[in-house]
Amino acid sequence: MIMEKKIEYYDVVVIGGGPAGMTAALYAGRARLKTLLIEKSLIGGMATYTSEIENYPGFPDPIDGIALMKLFDKQFRRFGVDVKLTDVRSVSIECNAKVVSTFRCDYHAKAVVVSTGNKPRLTGGKNEEKFLNDKGISFCATCDAARNTDKRVMIIGSGDAAIEEGMFLSKFAREVIVSVIHDEGIMDANKVAQEKAMANHRMTFMWNTVVDSFEGDEMLKRVVLKNVKTGEMVPVDVDGCFLFIGYVPNTKIFEGFLDMTNRGYIKTNEDMETNQEGVYAVGDCREKTLRQVATAVGDGAIAGFIAEKYVEEIEYVQKEIFEAKGLVMAFVYNAVDGVDREYLSRVEQIQREYRDKVQLRRIDVYKSDRIACRLSYTATPSLIFMKEGVVLENITDLSNLDKKVAEVIAARG
Amino acid sequence: MAERTLDCLGEACPIPLVKAQKAMDEMAVGDVLIVNIDHSCAMKNLPDWARSAGHNVEIEEVGEGEWDIIIEKAK
Repeated sequence: MIMEKKIEYYDVVVIGGGPAGMTAALYAGRARLKTLLIEKSLIGGMATYTSEIENYPGFPDPIDGIALMKLFDKQFRRFGVDVKLTDVRSVSIECNAKVVSTFRCDYHAKAVVVSTGNKPRLTGGKNEEKFLNDKGISFCATCDAARNTDKRVMIIGSGDAAIEEGMFLSKFAREVIVSVIHDEGIMDANKVAQEKAMANHRMTFMWNTVVDSFEGDEMLKRVVLKNVKTGEMVPVDVDGCFLFIGYVPNTKIFEGFLDMTNRGYIKTNEDMETNQEGVYAVGDCREKTLRQVATAVGDGAIAGFIAEKYVEEIEYVQKEIFEAKGLVMAFVYNAVDGVDREYLSRVEQIQREYRDKVQLRRIDVYKSDRIACRLSYTATPSLIFMKEGVVLENITDLSNLDKKVAEVIAARG
Repeated sequence: MAERTLDCLGEACPIPLVKAQKAMDEMAVGDVLIVNIDHSCAMKNLPDWARSAGHNVEIEEVGEGEWDIIIEKAK
């Protein structure tokens, strides 16, 4: 069945509903921009996989990841943001509009915020694929803790997620075996978590090990670990296995469109701008040092704010310059330059003489030259004449200005 | 193009996923399966599984904490 694809128009489309995306949507929505947030499954993203978040400021007692994300959800929807639960297939740029395509709809946006986050990394062990999707390998302790009550489970990894979620699981499971790649006593988790884990009588550690294979019938029954020092294979019977060995970014659909690191993280500047104008990247999918709810929120706020400025700017240019009636002269200058300012008063004086024939637009490039770039400016100061959206003259030599303006008005006015 | 609804309200993981997988096996390409769920864990594994199996998936929020997962069998 081939359905006609719908087209809808937005100021800002946010791809991904984790804390970074929700914050960007909150800022955009609060700035009265028509905003859409698209999430492929559960609002909250990877934060909903965390049983307890105890380092998000403002919540002095540990809070469950799902509960915290519900609060985020409630807050951003207050600002009139639309939400669609579906996956984005591609993003492209067509005639100045960014097109975000889903299975049923093409969303045309002025600005796009990419907050597609991370997904858990797999071990690459044999038969791994066979036991994904609830067949014994899990990435979410909060989701699967209850059903592991009195069971024997294995954790792969030794970072914060591995150790903290392992401790959470130990409240349910009778035994939690942690496979750690490092030498005895060495873990990647924070010291507090390490100390608690070492004192937890339900947790045991298998040092210098990695997964070699997963075994079982329908369900996972055994994990075979390999000792990285001795090469020895150690089969361990388990009821479930949780992988916490880091993450990989969800950025595949942006390959060739956005600049990325060799690990697939999107490169941005500190304003969250990517190599594509009007496309921002925030949160875990972005190249940065610390991936936490606290840093995601900062990224989202910046992108929401910068997107607002960007949308304002393109609307201004569209309405006041490209769609203006009659002849327009745009004076492009740098407001901190004394010479430029002198020329500005000169231009204003001349325009007053011809006020019935030409409109003046002042375009200051001091903070950003993006508006000027839309007019293909080449230097400051310069005077660009436009009519019906087309650049007619670009005057960079401003000597004999009166004469030049008079000539253009006579010829084109 | 048949449409079938699976009521999984009140059911925790992995039951909605297992039921949906079984139902999809019995359906033809182009058919649509609607799974009603109210456990957030199913929001994590069901859409992911269906997309990785190559089907088209959309989700409707029916109410707070209640969703309809709409799966169009694509192969």
